[in-house]
Amino acid sequence: MPLFRRILIANRGEIALRVIRTAREMGIETVAVYSDADRAALHVRKATRAVHLGGNAPAESYLDHQKVLAAAIETGCDALHPGYGFLSENAAFAEACERAGITFLGPPAAAIRSMGDKVAARRIALEAGVPLVPGLQDDVDEAGLLAAAEQVGYPVMLKAAAGGGGKGIRIVEDASGLVEAYRMATAEAKGAFGDDRVYLEKFVVEPRHVEIQIMADKHGNVVHYGERECSVQRRHQKLVEESPCSVLTPDLREQMGQAACDLARQVGYVGAGTVEFLYSRGAFYFLEMNTRLQVEHPITEERFGVDLVREMIRVGAGERASEPSAPRGHAIEVRINAEDPETYYPSLGTIRRLGLPGGPGVRLDSAMFRGLEVTPFYDSMLGKLIVHGADREQAIERCIRAVRELRIVGVATSLPVALETLLSDPFRSGNYDTGILDSIDTVGRHYRGAAMLAAATARFLRAERVGAASGAAAARGEDTPRWSQLGRRERLWGGAR
Amino acid sequence: MKYYAKIGDEEREYTFERRGAQLIARSGEHTFELDLALVGEGEAISAIVDGVSYDIVTDVQGKDVTVQMRGERYLVQVEDERERAAAAVADNKPAGKRELRAAMPGVVVDVRVAVGDEVEEGQILVVLEAMKMQNPLSADGPGKVTKLAVSAGEAVAAGALLAEIE
Repeated sequence: MPLFRRILIANRGEIALRVIRTAREMGIETVAVYSDADRAALHVRKATRAVHLGGNAPAESYLDHQKVLAAAIETGCDALHPGYGFLSENAAFAEACERAGITFLGPPAAAIRSMGDKVAARRIALEAGVPLVPGLQDDVDEAGLLAAAEQVGYPVMLKAAAGGGGKGIRIVEDASGLVEAYRMATAEAKGAFGDDRVYLEKFVVEPRHVEIQIMADKHGNVVHYGERECSVQRRHQKLVEESPCSVLTPDLREQMGQAACDLARQVGYVGAGTVEFLYSRGAFYFLEMNTRLQVEHPITEERFGVDLVREMIRVGAGERASEPSAPRGHAIEVRINAEDPETYYPSLGTIRRLGLPGGPGVRLDSAMFRGLEVTPFYDSMLGKLIVHGADREQAIERCIRAVRELRIVGVATSLPVALETLLSDPFRSGNYDTGILDSIDTVGRHYRGAAMLAAATARFLRAERVGAASGAAAARGEDTPRWSQLGRRERLWGGAR
Repeated sequence: MKYYAKIGDEEREYTFERRGAQLIARSGEHTFELDLALVGEGEAISAIVDGVSYDIVTDVQGKDVTVQMRGERYLVQVEDERERAAAAVADNKPAGKRELRAAMPGVVVDVRVAVGDEVEEGQILVVLEAMKMQNPLSADGPGKVTKLAVSAGEAVAAGALLAEIE
């Protein structure tokens, strides 16, 4: 007997396909939902059933509570997987599902709510004994300044209470510059926001983004699957993730794991969750908890030999969380975003050609296919390339090899940036922080000369082809080249080899 | 026919010569013997150069060529000799009255407009054959043909006036 009869996947793209794959393996039927633009998408084609939501914008399709829930009810689903993004961290939607008698494969609404509110989340973390970035809850005046700075420890950061965009921020190394910096920060805050309140926080140097994967069941058991290192980010968007983190000691790993489990227990968590920490020089501080499956979950799966979607479905059905097995080797994930590698602008178009990587230790979680139209309506992530190796060095070499094999024509992707990251000294040394993409040259120029020759050759071949065709056409008194003629030429060239 | 490939500030000049199945490319004192196989619709090129294999995908959109190889992506601007000369001529054209000049020596094989015709941007005015290739020369903007300096079958020198548009 399968654990559920039929699961609706309230998502699209690679994550919808990811859930469909596991459900199939568990003998559970799947229902895909889709917008107008996604009619031919892979998740629609691979699901058991598919329901048209209509519209293109997320608000009129994947974000529409009523439409999605109605689809689940009409198709007789007894569970719903929200994936990530869209409705995955929407407490009201989770409640609506439960009210309709459909198991929401995620945490209870209350847990989503408390972790979604940054202030509440900090308070709960404090109660659970999870370390926070040391600082003051309230604004500070000049009289209390010195004592406050001594208390949190230098370097400290002064931040405008009404702040944003980096204005009113001052970093102070020691007591000598504190008062002067405070006066400047308050003046700047006043000018920028009309509010001169400033608060003080420890400045985290060389911050790394390290997160813990947890899984909780309905019996109060919470287990963790170690960490993922996600410091390779551009504008807070992760690009390359790896596991394990090369600077974490076993002792710290266990402390962070326990802190994450404690936090989950504190909010009565169920399902897959991720607790994000800032790591700096042997200390870690709570950032936030993501109450859903993360994009980068496969690197954890590869190391622990676990299927986290399967675990989510199991604990959702009331089963006990499995005990994690001992992790093995090293895993790296590279995100494939449809964006210009130099400007990071979204790149739209149709995928005309697709060359996929293969070989040992390579996994591709992707919704790409030849003919896929990349539209402006949704996230630019097309898929993820995941590799697993016996150790970090092998994983890096394998990842470079696989990125070089992967070829997408029709839209530009972020892959060249990932490649340069993998090749860079800071990444290879393992000693990097969230500033890594600013510190390395992400524009690949290893084969510049060959690329110029290739480009000139491509134009020569085209001119030769067109010239030959039009010459032949002119001889017959025709204006336009014949396609059959072109085709024959093409075969001749191919055949000559 | 020369080709000028440019990435950023760096430019290289190439000439090509067919030698049976091989293509010979020359750039400065370098000579490359290219052993090429076109894959699929011709966008993918397998090139073996001095025994080294390059798996390349190219996307030609006018003068802009996107090259993907070994996980890297290059945007290369490629102009051929005619385009370069045409661009140079276009830069020197007087306001109001524009001249269409031959970018290279050749034979006029077709004149598609008459004096007094209103033409649109991109409309082909004259077809010039050079190096066994037919090159359509088109109007760089809308206007009226005020002068035709050549007729079909006529040989012209590089830079010769072909037509005027106002």
